Amino acid sequence: MQTGFGRFATAFSLAILSLGFAQAQTLDTTTFVVMGEGLAAGMANFGLSSIVQNKSFPAQIAAQMKTAFPQPLIQGPGIGDVLGYAPLPVIAPKYPQDQVRIFPAQPDPNDEAPTLFVLNLSVPGMKLADSVSRRPVSPLIQRDSKQTAINLILGFPSLILNRDVPLWTQFEYAKAMMPTMVLVELGYFEALDAAVAQDPARIPDPAAFHATYSDIVKGLRVMQAQVIITTIPNPIDTAYFMPPPVAAAILKAQSSVLLQGYNIAETDYVTRNGLNVISKQLALRNIQPLPPGSIMTAAAASDIQRRVQALNTEIANVARESGALVYDLNSFFHRVHSSGVTVGTTKLTADYLGGFYSLDGYYPGSTGHALIANDILMFLNQSYGQSFPPLDVVSILKGDPMVQLNIGSGPLYSAP
Amino acid sequence: MLRRTFALLVLFFAFPAPPSRGSAFSIWELGARSAGMGTAFTSVASDGSAIYYNPAGIGFQPGTHMQMDGLVVVGLFRFFPSSPLPGTVVPPNGFSGSIRPHFIPVASLYITREMSPKITFGFGIFTPFGLAANFTNFHDADPALTKFTGRWAGTRAHLESYWFQPTASYRLTPNSRIALGIAYVHTHLFLEKSILNPRGDGLEFGREAANTIFPGVDQEQAARVIARLLPEGRSRIAGTANSPAFNLGYLYKHPEGKFNFGLMMRSAVTNHLSGSASFAFPDNYPLEPFVGPDLLPKAFPSQAIKGSFTTPATYSVGVSSAALKKMLISFDFRLQDYRRFASVPLNFSVTKATDPDARTPAEQRLTFDFRNSYQLAFGIEKPLNPRIELRAGYLFDRSPVVEKSVGPLFPDCNRHGFTVGSTWNSGNMEFTFFYEAMWFVERNINVAANANLGTNGDYENFAHLFGMALRINRATKHK
Repeated sequence: MQTGFGRFATAFSLAILSLGFAQAQTLDTTTFVVMGEGLAAGMANFGLSSIVQNKSFPAQIAAQMKTAFPQPLIQGPGIGDVLGYAPLPVIAPKYPQDQVRIFPAQPDPNDEAPTLFVLNLSVPGMKLADSVSRRPVSPLIQRDSKQTAINLILGFPSLILNRDVPLWTQFEYAKAMMPTMVLVELGYFEALDAAVAQDPARIPDPAAFHATYSDIVKGLRVMQAQVIITTIPNPIDTAYFMPPPVAAAILKAQSSVLLQGYNIAETDYVTRNGLNVISKQLALRNIQPLPPGSIMTAAAASDIQRRVQALNTEIANVARESGALVYDLNSFFHRVHSSGVTVGTTKLTADYLGGFYSLDGYYPGSTGHALIANDILMFLNQSYGQSFPPLDVVSILKGDPMVQLNIGSGPLYSAP
Repeated sequence: MLRRTFALLVLFFAFPAPPSRGSAFSIWELGARSAGMGTAFTSVASDGSAIYYNPAGIGFQPGTHMQMDGLVVVGLFRFFPSSPLPGTVVPPNGFSGSIRPHFIPVASLYITREMSPKITFGFGIFTPFGLAANFTNFHDADPALTKFTGRWAGTRAHLESYWFQPTASYRLTPNSRIALGIAYVHTHLFLEKSILNPRGDGLEFGREAANTIFPGVDQEQAARVIARLLPEGRSRIAGTANSPAFNLGYLYKHPEGKFNFGLMMRSAVTNHLSGSASFAFPDNYPLEPFVGPDLLPKAFPSQAIKGSFTTPATYSVGVSSAALKKMLISFDFRLQDYRRFASVPLNFSVTKATDPDARTPAEQRLTFDFRNSYQLAFGIEKPLNPRIELRAGYLFDRSPVVEKSVGPLFPDCNRHGFTVGSTWNSGNMEFTFFYEAMWFVERNINVAANANLGTNGDYENFAHLFGMALRINRATKHK
């Protein structure tokens, strides 16, 4: 596990790195492109749909910067697989989902058409290696849900045009948009995937990660775009992984019930899936062995965190080599995990149902996205001498159902 | 000998080279002797270049004379943009506006012949106006932000105004002459610049396409994104004009050279251009597969154009004296009414009215709004011995280019020129040379309206000018 000093040292070095470049660079927000995975796409609550897409932190940042940011808005209930659950089969849209991609409203509905290009190129499930290799493939709807998501985001409407048009990878798409400013949020999916599967080996080799990341950032810097790359949050900081006391509080149970009933060590973590299974068992007053993936051991968590940190070191190296700025998203998530965030009179925490994360446990809700957006806006203001106004998070919070969730009242569950 | 030399000179003028940049586009150094004296020659006018400086001077040149002047200019033009687009790569030494090759030759030819004690005829070919700018320090395939920032205002310009001027001088009194020259002026203009500026004309296209490409997005924000997806094109406009002009002169010369006084007026010329406009766009720009390869070629078709512009009139007054230690001292004041050069209207023949796909406007007006210009010239000439003369001079040239028009076409500033020269007389031939070091006052431009053209910044220029002349004299025997 990374020590406090180690985390401080990483944050300090990233801050120094950022300031060093900031002195020499200016920001042009004309064409703001985002390359990311589910987090930057606005995935939340088990799918990618317009509900949170419109509130995603890149969209909020673009609005504050007053720059165009067309997104591939998806009708509810949305698309994309949810880590920790078995992938759902891809099915053709049916009511109430009809065209899947939302067309911007026009005075005459017959004129409605999709945007020819989007600038939020983030795709749920997109890995770093995918961003330079996966491209849209006809037909539009595929059995592979990730390919379908790529088609709907990067390949629409190209795949249905009666023209021989290019089908770009995420990286090619970003370059084709002639960006002036690019935010890269990649690598988080790999970390989440490894953490949820409790298989640290799924986290990419740092050298290979560096090579691919470097190709992307240098390719964008050659175009003289300002590139902001985000560090990878530590999945263990998210609500998906709960220390036993936190899980016990949500379950309205005493910690000892979890620790002794399920033989969980105090340093282990109960996962979102584990929480669901335990809640059912406690409701039935029937404690049974938990299925795989319910508990993450401290050792596995430490391994995940160490590997994520290794990737973040490579991200910092890439930034230094290519003149990009690093926004430390990892530190932001950790701050939320450590001390929560107070918005108005409401205290949000990184606990499950704590208000920052959505129901999937690892992607934020609307308020969480707004908080990320504000932190990045502040970073841009400091780095580039800008004065982008912050978002009114209080008003966003009022419309965010994730903040309205409460732990039920009643007595604590004490013993089966 | 004379016949053979003349044949050579005619051959030389059959292939004239583009002239260099002058004050805005005036050229003063059209005679090696006069240039050695800082061009203070209106009241001297004692060689063939009098046809240019003061045609009345040919009346004081008995016999027959042929003179060829060659001028070589090495212009060093540098531009340091003050507000380049974020990320723009500015070379450490700024952007160079020097033409290639660096040496620009300018040639003049003068012939005079005394027909009678009262009348002298002359003929001159010279280029009083010329321009050669070249800021194409990049290749089209280069990344946009490594290119010269002011390319939207211009990348290359050529102006050549050739004057073919027969001249007659008449003796008013034994010490004064008047002269009239009628000139046939052939002018060639070439302008090149980049088009579809993401912060300029490209935005117009972006606004038009905003609701098609990015429906539901704020039109202005969408237009800015679309403008960057367009290719950077080049427009080239070339045309020629043939116009009449005239030149008047008066010169009084004291028999012993104690006091000389000259006046000269060269007319303005309105050039009615006929030519063509062409446009070029690179392939493989992001929008091309979606809009089709023929969208832009159809929007900007090559076509015939017409246009007009006026070169200024010149008014000179000069005094000189050889009373001091056999040293000829001269002073000139000149005025050029460059306010005539207010704009250059260009009329396109293919417009939206004649072709729905076309986007070339009926008229595009290049506005410059020049101010009047003046020059102060001072020169001295001292015979070292009967065969060698030495000269020196100074020239101050006030730029007619107003702040908003300073850019790649006219990277102009006030100038200070310091000159030296000499003549070697040998038999019936004179060999003359001069050198001029021309300092340009550094000019910092900050015009809000030019921000999108990328022409605001520091202009730092310097020019070396070298010139030589060969003059052949033959006495005339009057019956």
